[in-house]
Amino acid sequence: MENYLIAMTVFAGIYAIMALGMNLIWGLGGMVNLGLAGFYAVGAYTSALVTTKLGLPIYLAVPLAVLVSALVGVIVAVITARLQGDYLAIVTLGLAELVRLTASNEIWLTNGTDGISGVPGPWRGVLSPTAFNSLYLGIVLCIIAVLFLVLSRLAASPFGRVLRAIREDEMIAAVAGKNVLSFKIRTFAVGCGLVGLAGALFAHYSSYVAPDVFQSIVTIHVILAVAVGGVGNMRGALLGAVIVIALGEATRFLAGSLDFIAPSQAAAVRESLIALFLIVVLNVRKQGLLPEKTPVYSEEKR
Amino acid sequence: MKLTRRAVLSAGVAMPFIGRTAFAQSNTIAIGALTPQTGAGGSYGPSMVKTIRAVVDEVNAAGGVLGRKIELISENDETSPEAGVRAARKLIDVNKVSAILGTWASSVTTAVAPLCWENKVMLFTVSGADSITQLPHQGFIIRTQPTSKLQSTRIAEFLLSRGAKRTFVMSAQTPFAVSGFNTVSEVLTAAKTEVLGHVIYDPAKATFRSELEQAIKTKPDTIFFNSYTPDLTTLLRELYRLGYEGRKHTMAYAANAKLLEALPAEVTEGLTSMAPSPDVDSPVYKKVRDILGTSDPDPYSCQTYDHITMALLAIARAGESSGPAIHGAVRKISQGTGTKISSAVEGLKLIAQKTEVNYEGASGPCDFADTGDIITCKFRFDVAEAGKNRLLGIS
Repeated sequence: MENYLIAMTVFAGIYAIMALGMNLIWGLGGMVNLGLAGFYAVGAYTSALVTTKLGLPIYLAVPLAVLVSALVGVIVAVITARLQGDYLAIVTLGLAELVRLTASNEIWLTNGTDGISGVPGPWRGVLSPTAFNSLYLGIVLCIIAVLFLVLSRLAASPFGRVLRAIREDEMIAAVAGKNVLSFKIRTFAVGCGLVGLAGALFAHYSSYVAPDVFQSIVTIHVILAVAVGGVGNMRGALLGAVIVIALGEATRFLAGSLDFIAPSQAAAVRESLIALFLIVVLNVRKQGLLPEKTPVYSEEKR
Repeated sequence: MKLTRRAVLSAGVAMPFIGRTAFAQSNTIAIGALTPQTGAGGSYGPSMVKTIRAVVDEVNAAGGVLGRKIELISENDETSPEAGVRAARKLIDVNKVSAILGTWASSVTTAVAPLCWENKVMLFTVSGADSITQLPHQGFIIRTQPTSKLQSTRIAEFLLSRGAKRTFVMSAQTPFAVSGFNTVSEVLTAAKTEVLGHVIYDPAKATFRSELEQAIKTKPDTIFFNSYTPDLTTLLRELYRLGYEGRKHTMAYAANAKLLEALPAEVTEGLTSMAPSPDVDSPVYKKVRDILGTSDPDPYSCQTYDHITMALLAIARAGESSGPAIHGAVRKISQGTGTKISSAVEGLKLIAQKTEVNYEGASGPCDFADTGDIITCKFRFDVAEAGKNRLLGIS
């Protein structure tokens, strides 16, 4: 049981890192990036490839994966500089599909749909499965703690304020003398880098990457996590990620205990329960469970 | 206590859990089914679990294995490697299963496999990718689906039996295109016949005229189309217009009823096709037909029927229910010179009398190489005549 709970916490942690990245781009910057699964794949494949093909150690591979994902983020931000809202969403969604198709077809590099197996994990094989799991959980939690502190600081900083201004009205931010494009590009770089980090962590944890892992359902889960947790609130992103995984697992036990229905019906019950929960939460609390707290600057405080 | 609506509701929600914990403590053998109930494989999963469930019920009714009842825990892999890993974690860490049966997508199987061998849990799969049994699985994988290598070999042998001397191959762009061609080509050249060439085409194209002209220029007597239905429809139509009169062969999933309906009979006339086939004459196959209530059960459900039967027989043969026990005994009950049997209950009786058994399943003879791959399997061959497929034979 402990192993299972530890593993699920690791998965929640990986989702939480993606949710933090998503929250920066969407929550603060107001840019709808549906290409999340693509950046997740870029991070995972980069780390998997450089460790298995070039023999790079994991501690170098992961930062490299973050860099490559951030770079792809910059390219996408430049390409989509003039797009907003639905248009940006469609283009980024297409990008994710492009990454997945590339991974499926460039067999010489990615091994196609067979995927890359045997991606090394830190001391995997040396440690017992339980010890490896616990170690990995420790690593993921430390990373999340650091990210959370830095991102919370960033959100409260002048940088965060400008992002929120861009989110509310790009024109006004530009009139106030802010270089909107530069802010957008930097936000995309950091956000996509974080999603790539989550991908790399996934690769080294599961030891296997394949195009099937990076379907758009991942993006949907992370959007849900951010929406339920509270758009624009870093605590909310973390809470949302935990809820998405916990909900998926809790409904597994609930549906599994209904002995009198067929497994296909149990699967349907599970998905309905998750949907029902989300509909209820988003109806009762439109801002998410932990709404964004925008700092109010009053005259007296100055 | 006042019985409020809320109290009744919460009791209702809590009830299944209470029951579950109470039963879980009893002395059962836990076996996990991990099949796709949603996602791309969602149409196969339900009947796969149904055959597993049927065997478990039958064995439990006959007294279980080693005096213990079988507890089947079914999870949905959502046709996603990540969801599959989470479900497998639950089966292994919470339910303590000794075997996981039925993983369908190759990516799911590859993702779940390391968990299985690290935790010494036996994995029975229906996935086809050649790479699966090349994993360092230490014998913890048994695969009942023929590999694409075995399939390609049988295709080439069939072409030879039809008299192919000069063969051209056209493949839709898939991960299997190159490896499939290489195998076909090896067998054909080893039999001193000519392989004239190979074209990999983009199946999304609207016309294949130039690809076909390239093929016809080499004057083949046989063209093998490693295709899907939509592209094969276009290919055959254009091939007919080009006046080709040689043999044409393809995969059964491409030469389906839909294709034969969509094209005039003279265009499809003589098109042969091949598919891995369950052993349709075996008594086990007839049983699977009854369980599913269909005259034509899919191969995966036949295979999962064999998975559960072999797992239970192996447990009985080893005398204990652990993963390593199944690992050690699975080949002792599925191959060899023992009495041929066709059901779990029948086999369990014989094993109890210390008689060696050899299970012959619904999907085939169920004999495995050390890699975990099935050694041989039946294939069915059809030929299109007057717009309908006619069975040429099963071998």
